[in-house]
Amino acid sequence: MPRIERTAQAVWEGNVARGSGRFTAASSHAFEVLPYSLATRIGSPEGRTSPEELLAAAHSGCFAMSLASELTQLGNPPKRLDVTVTCVVDDVEGRGHLVVESRVDVQASVPGLDEDRFRAAVRDADAGCTMSALIRGSAEVDVSARLSD
Amino acid sequence: MAAERHAEVSWSGSLMEGSGRIESTGSGAIGGLEVTWASRSEPDESGRTSPEELIAAAHAACFSMALSHALAQAGTPPERLDVQATSTFVPGTGITQMRLDVTGRVPGMDEAAFRAAAGQAKEDCPVSKALAGNVEISLDARLES
Repeated sequence: MPRIERTAQAVWEGNVARGSGRFTAASSHAFEVLPYSLATRIGSPEGRTSPEELLAAAHSGCFAMSLASELTQLGNPPKRLDVTVTCVVDDVEGRGHLVVESRVDVQASVPGLDEDRFRAAVRDADAGCTMSALIRGSAEVDVSARLSD
Repeated sequence: MAAERHAEVSWSGSLMEGSGRIESTGSGAIGGLEVTWASRSEPDESGRTSPEELIAAAHAACFSMALSHALAQAGTPPERLDVQATSTFVPGTGITQMRLDVTGRVPGMDEAAFRAAAGQAKEDCPVSKALAGNVEISLDARLES
């Protein structure tokens, strides 16, 4: 069975409150030297990404692929899927900052597919999505989906 | 106070032949990134990112902040931390492992104390907590000599 590795690098300078970091997609170099800080992680992002935004990006990418796979197996490959994921972090008493929820919103254009089979495909896609499974180990995953023209 | 962060992805076509795009993120810092099944599951990623690379980036960034916090609380804030996170993805099974490698430049701190702080940060960082139970997380920590 193949084992696929992907690597990212981060550099941090200074303490957490006033220091800052930057990170790079070391495997693909699809993005490089993106800055991050505590203030932009828990407050207003001000154009800077954060670990939680990257989780949201990973989950949306993963969910879209999982649903494309399910729909293709039904014989209805999607014309287009739009997947938005919102990752929620909260300060939980006694446990510190935690990812508490990942909210998945899907809009799908799938020629020839009825609502019931679409709902079933979305359920199977959620069950088969690596990121949904990971996050469900420690937080809620809520999925809403609708068919569009 | 809860913080929300979001990302939008579009996908067209089947899993094997189709392709997707991370269209945008709430911060605007990343967007317009292509993703495909090939870029995710083949050894060579050909310049395209994947959910597993994004998780590695999230974990590296999260761990670096947790460790800087622990070091500052111990009275020895870091001059610099270099963190590398590597995820292992087994198609059909999922993300099985994450390897964290950290090198620190921390004036006034010895190796044993640095390793202990790194071990604590590995437990405390929110991304570690999100992965806990599903992913085996390993850590290699050393001070810059």
